[in-house]
Amino acid sequence: MMDQTKQLNGYHVVFLVQNVMMGTTLLLLPNLLSSVGYSQWWLPLMFALIANLLLIPMVWLMSQYSAYNLFAIHETLLGKWLGKGINVLLILYLIVLIAATCEGYLELIQVVALQDRTITGPLFIFFLLLVYIVSGGIKSIARFCIISFFLVTWMIYFMKWGITEGDIRHALPLFNFSMQELFTATKNGFFSMAGFELILFYFPYIIHQKKVFKQASLGIWICGILYFITAFVSVMYYSEWQLENVLYPVLYLFNAVKFSFLERVDVIAITLWVFFILSTASAYLWVVKKGIDSIRASENKSHLYIISLIIYIFINIQFPEEFQNKLYERVHFVSYGFMIWPIFLCIIHVLKAKKEGVK
Amino acid sequence: MGFSNDQNDKVLITIDAINAELDGINDAVFKDIQTDGEIVTVIYLSSLIDNLTLHRTVIAPLLTNKDDILKAAEVPKKITITSILSSITDGDTIVYFHEKNLFVTVNTYSPPTSSIAQSDAESTVSGPRDVLTESLQTNLSLIKRRIKNTNLKSRDFIIGTETNTKLVVVYMETIVHQENLDRVFKNIDEMDWPGFNDITIVSQIMETHKYSPFTQYHMTERPDFVTSSLLDGRIVIMMENTQGALICPSTFFEFFMSPEDEYNRWTTATLLRCLRFFGFFLTIMLTPFYISALSFHPEILPFEILINLQESRSKVPFPPVIEVLFMELVIEVLREAGSRMPTKIGQTIGIVGGIVIGTAAVEAGLVSNTLIVLVAISALLSFLPPSFTMSNSSRVIRYLFIISAGIFGLYGQMIAFAWLMIHLLNLTSLGTPYMTPLIPRKWSDLMDNVIRLPIHLQKQKKGVSRAMTKKVPPTKGEK
Repeated sequence: MMDQTKQLNGYHVVFLVQNVMMGTTLLLLPNLLSSVGYSQWWLPLMFALIANLLLIPMVWLMSQYSAYNLFAIHETLLGKWLGKGINVLLILYLIVLIAATCEGYLELIQVVALQDRTITGPLFIFFLLLVYIVSGGIKSIARFCIISFFLVTWMIYFMKWGITEGDIRHALPLFNFSMQELFTATKNGFFSMAGFELILFYFPYIIHQKKVFKQASLGIWICGILYFITAFVSVMYYSEWQLENVLYPVLYLFNAVKFSFLERVDVIAITLWVFFILSTASAYLWVVKKGIDSIRASENKSHLYIISLIIYIFINIQFPEEFQNKLYERVHFVSYGFMIWPIFLCIIHVLKAKKEGVK
Repeated sequence: MGFSNDQNDKVLITIDAINAELDGINDAVFKDIQTDGEIVTVIYLSSLIDNLTLHRTVIAPLLTNKDDILKAAEVPKKITITSILSSITDGDTIVYFHEKNLFVTVNTYSPPTSSIAQSDAESTVSGPRDVLTESLQTNLSLIKRRIKNTNLKSRDFIIGTETNTKLVVVYMETIVHQENLDRVFKNIDEMDWPGFNDITIVSQIMETHKYSPFTQYHMTERPDFVTSSLLDGRIVIMMENTQGALICPSTFFEFFMSPEDEYNRWTTATLLRCLRFFGFFLTIMLTPFYISALSFHPEILPFEILINLQESRSKVPFPPVIEVLFMELVIEVLREAGSRMPTKIGQTIGIVGGIVIGTAAVEAGLVSNTLIVLVAISALLSFLPPSFTMSNSSRVIRYLFIISAGIFGLYGQMIAFAWLMIHLLNLTSLGTPYMTPLIPRKWSDLMDNVIRLPIHLQKQKKGVSRAMTKKVPPTKGEK
């Protein structure tokens, strides 16, 4: 089928799952959840639970086809042409997703750190590095995830200032929101959990496939707890109006940090964030590369370069702002569909197995 | 005596033939000696052999009792003209008995060697003082004096298509990982290079990642470091005429360990190691941060510091990146010039140059005061790693950080940092990941890494070398 060297151990799986999830969304999470007001702090835990439940069909499906990734499963389950068609759609979706992630981050860099600069140059070196990471293979990406986790997560210490200046009474009362508000918050915020579904693609590379569920759940919960801490501190620190209207609340949370030798910690935080964005984007880019490999039925390094070039150009094209915002927003909804998609595949698999059993 | 004369049946080698081959070598000596009963010809290269040794081992026995030499010497079973020639170039003496038509070789190789002195490059305050020399025999003896164990094996190789240099691979048979050993043997067998002046060339050829700024094999000239590496299951490569040994595999963190750490208390060792390790990151980040802070993000510094910086920079007409590059290059030039000059002049020039350039450059308005301090600190920090190659690497990649900070500020610095991390993660040394034991993590090694724990916690062998036995193996006598 393809290069099936098993190379991911338990640590790799945990950090791949949780680091891919933490991209730009963590920076704006409290804002996304703002429709439920102060009750938002427990939502990340609910999200983690939902993600964990969604993981069950994924892992079950993958363990039925332990040597295949999702692209190959599509072709086996749905037939060659339909499978390939879906794969193409999937790849298009992933390309837009990578573009959305990178562009979102670089625009932030432009606003916070590199004023009066276009994003072309920073984006270019970003992509050079991205290609360098991805060309090392999935194991290299996983290792990068581990190191970026430890290089960036210490910043959670900066929450200390938010806690001391915040008011814990904001956390109560609970549940004073309507169903509609909860639905909106979930619709906007659950996207922050996107990323764990990539397990559908690197499953064949995992050494201990039986333990995947445990490891991936651990990853989901690490991420969920980090989200939880962020959301809780934001609730303490901000007023409800601020939560709704400050676009990057976490960034301003960093701004609360006071050192005698350092003024604006958020500049350092946002530049250090490039580690998270790189790990997220590189994992997605790797999947796209595998997808092109499977469609063209050949492994080729040039696929990676071509794809990166396409995404680079795609980001650089000046679309009308309205169209772009809509496109990037819609991508989030596609990703919900993508998370539920394995359930359908499971059903098809069961039906097919029954049919063959009857025969 | 069990020698036979059948070597003569198969080949016909005459003195004339050897003479023809050695024609044009001015130190080739053909000496006919009249012993009791027959004429014996002695052939050798006088530059490789000390007169006294020659007299004691060859001439005197021939004149008194020539059977003695037959008892002591090596009588090759089968000889060819090439084997004779290679013995001669190795420093052996060939003795030809005309009557018996018999060639024997006597080991007389005795070139001048330097004595065992103190280490210059890796000096320590405490611990053993001896250091490897140019003589392979002396080096092996220095190691075998420390490891008195028959498990210490060594294998010889001849490398260099023109120079025929002798190379020895030393390892502990019971500890070393066979796969590593096979890799080393294969690498050495495949080496195709005309000549080797130093073992660092061997290391450059053996490396898998040739474009990397980081060296992948540790080079040391301390026998105690060699010994502890061997006990860890590493493979040590030594070459004649080289004052140093190559240790493979090595990891990134080991370049920050000094052999002295083993002799210090764990608290001192940990403190020093942390200094060296974080010094590496400071040295590549300090001056680039100055650039980013001044030219891109002045808002990250508090007002007072910013005012100070701007004041000291008020006379400087260049942008910070030019200023930093200028000063870093001046330091580099001072260092290079100082190390190339004779020691006494070098020191004077270094001190005078440093002071003069330091103060004069500020007064001339070329650089700011603050930058002089920062550059001096980062230059000092770059010399903290005990391994000279690692301090070179850190200085080289610092320029990458300076330039990326000059173009993209902190963002560029972080991108460069991410590149450094992913590059280090992708490197391997003899198949072992360079960032072991951090990623992939090996608990047994973490006990003795950047943080060195008390010695009773370090019972296990290093996982880096994939040692076969976890604990120190029993000697043959105990079995």
